[in-house]
Amino acid sequence: MPQLRKDPVVSRWVIIATERARRPGNFVTYQNVDFGNKKDCPFCRNTDPEIYAVRPQGGGADDWLVKVSPNGTPILSMETKFKRHGFGLYDVIDNYGVHEVVIETPEHIANMADLSKEQIQRVMEAYVARFKDLEKDTNLQYVFAYKNYGLASGSRPIGHARSQIIAAPVNPLRVKEKLVGAKKYYDYHERCLYCDMYRQEIANGERIIKETEHFVSFTPFAPRFPFEVVIVPKRHSCDFAEGAAGLEADLALILKDTLLRFKLGLDDPAYNYVIHTAPLRRKRKGVKWQTIEEDYHWHIEIIPKLAKAAGFEKGSGFYICSIPPEDTAEFLRKVDIHA
Amino acid sequence: MPELRRDPIIGQWVVVASDQESLTPMAYEKEDHERKQKSVCQFCSGREGYTPPEVAAIRLNASQPNSPGWVTRVVPNKFPALKIEGGLDKRGIGIYDLSNGIGAHEVVVETEDHNRDMADLTPEEIICILRMYLDRGTNLAKDKRFKYILVFKNFGESAGASVEHAHSQIIALPMVPKLVDAELEGSSNYHKFRGRCLFCDILEQEYADEERIIAQNDKFIGFSPFVPRFPFEQWIMPKNHQPDFFALSEEDLMPLAQMIKEVLARMKACLNASYNFYIHTTPVGYKDKDVYHWHIEIMPQLVNVKGYEWGTGLYQVLTSPAVAAGYLRDVDLS
Repeated sequence: MPQLRKDPVVSRWVIIATERARRPGNFVTYQNVDFGNKKDCPFCRNTDPEIYAVRPQGGGADDWLVKVSPNGTPILSMETKFKRHGFGLYDVIDNYGVHEVVIETPEHIANMADLSKEQIQRVMEAYVARFKDLEKDTNLQYVFAYKNYGLASGSRPIGHARSQIIAAPVNPLRVKEKLVGAKKYYDYHERCLYCDMYRQEIANGERIIKETEHFVSFTPFAPRFPFEVVIVPKRHSCDFAEGAAGLEADLALILKDTLLRFKLGLDDPAYNYVIHTAPLRRKRKGVKWQTIEEDYHWHIEIIPKLAKAAGFEKGSGFYICSIPPEDTAEFLRKVDIHA
Repeated sequence: MPELRRDPIIGQWVVVASDQESLTPMAYEKEDHERKQKSVCQFCSGREGYTPPEVAAIRLNASQPNSPGWVTRVVPNKFPALKIEGGLDKRGIGIYDLSNGIGAHEVVVETEDHNRDMADLTPEEIICILRMYLDRGTNLAKDKRFKYILVFKNFGESAGASVEHAHSQIIALPMVPKLVDAELEGSSNYHKFRGRCLFCDILEQEYADEERIIAQNDKFIGFSPFVPRFPFEQWIMPKNHQPDFFALSEEDLMPLAQMIKEVLARMKACLNASYNFYIHTTPVGYKDKDVYHWHIEIMPQLVNVKGYEWGTGLYQVLTSPAVAAGYLRDVDLS
């Protein structure tokens, strides 16, 4: 009998197939291995302007370990002054925002899973620094970091690990839904939903993949996609830049752990991750974000690209997940990442 | 210069390309829709025994159920996402809610002809499909367990169709889908504030702006929404206020079939893309007749949804709806 499960944050119902028609090994891996040519890689010898870089002590201009540059084909950019206008029923904002590329290593390595923990830690430190800096523009409302790895994820065929940061003058819809869901839970229980969630996951255990000193990774109870994973910090903080500061080494450990399990267990699939954090909180009247410090909790969502969303999902928001998260968690837990 | 646009229904912000910088239909990857499954197709006439027994059909000359002689045929899905037997047994585990996966999942075989899609059918044939939607929807709505009847269609492999013979699907759900729920909430809020139907107001603006209209007749309009989530997204809406698709009147059948035919034929000539369509209507037994307005959303499959779009809901659309509507309008259907 299939199950209907409700996502406790955004109240989205998901159909979970439990017939075991799909075994974890039966998924098609979408990974077109066309990583281009190292010789032509624009990230190996990057000449783009530098917004931020991590360097070894005493390193020269070309000795960066992590480099942040403007995205050459930005989704949003600062083409004009910030301007809102109405168009009849509709609200419009002229192109405004920031889109940056984080080059995660000077070496031509495609998958973040293959970087050292220390290198991933530097990437996390770069995120934290950029988030803190972007917060200064008071027209911006939301900053998120994301990664597309592999062609099926939307990435270009360049085998050089990088991720991206977008700062937008609006709150994206899914973020808003999460904020509203977490606030409702807080209003009723006076507790953080995500704190309750990760504690229940640890107590229950069957969806847990890894627990470190400061983080826990698990497959969500009502996932949209097979093998979806979420990383939640144990220390409560609504804000990534504040919450992750100082914990970058431990975060790198659990992120690498997850990505290695994908790579080795699922045959190097394309994947995406998105860092979800609270909107930039301005000190202003109107107290829009009255309890957000208490009610929201930053986290990372990671989705390997194994199933296309068929028509049903796209137009209804009702998802069918073809394998229970308990099975995918067990499978990922058993992947030998030290082999 | 692209702009951020917020749709007034669910409040989603989308980055939309300017008219000048919009991608043309030629810029998207084309797919071939060659039919390869005919020799083994279970939906073809003469192979009725390969599907579960039909639950409804429109038949010529009093032909027998589950035999040839049908125009449109409805059968249970052989691999249903939800099971029809049993109770919901709603329960909780700590902070989580779940229930049994109860629901109905049926397939509407739209024509006996293996080589035609809905875009190739006559309005009279499309009326037969619509009659099946209405008949099955009304019947399934009598089941107290079901809260929502979703009619949708996947055409082409990249849009999720595993069977190439023209078909659509009906799913009866014990919950209201998230997107519809969000639309209902948005339009209810709008109605509370203004006392008018949000969708009727959207149509007023479409008439005034004109540039996003693709086709219209006395009763229906096809247009590209001002805030699309996908390039060349199209909506079909009744011009007068109608909350419930399943209450469609007899006299609206022909103009709706004509509008569906025209929009799909234009899309086929312009893009020849795989696509999905969904009928969004009020939930079963929804009392308030004033706040919602049923419509069909049509999404050609031209781009893959990117990871950050799934993750955040911040979509980027590289063809503006005015440009998309222009291309679709300019198709010569004669």
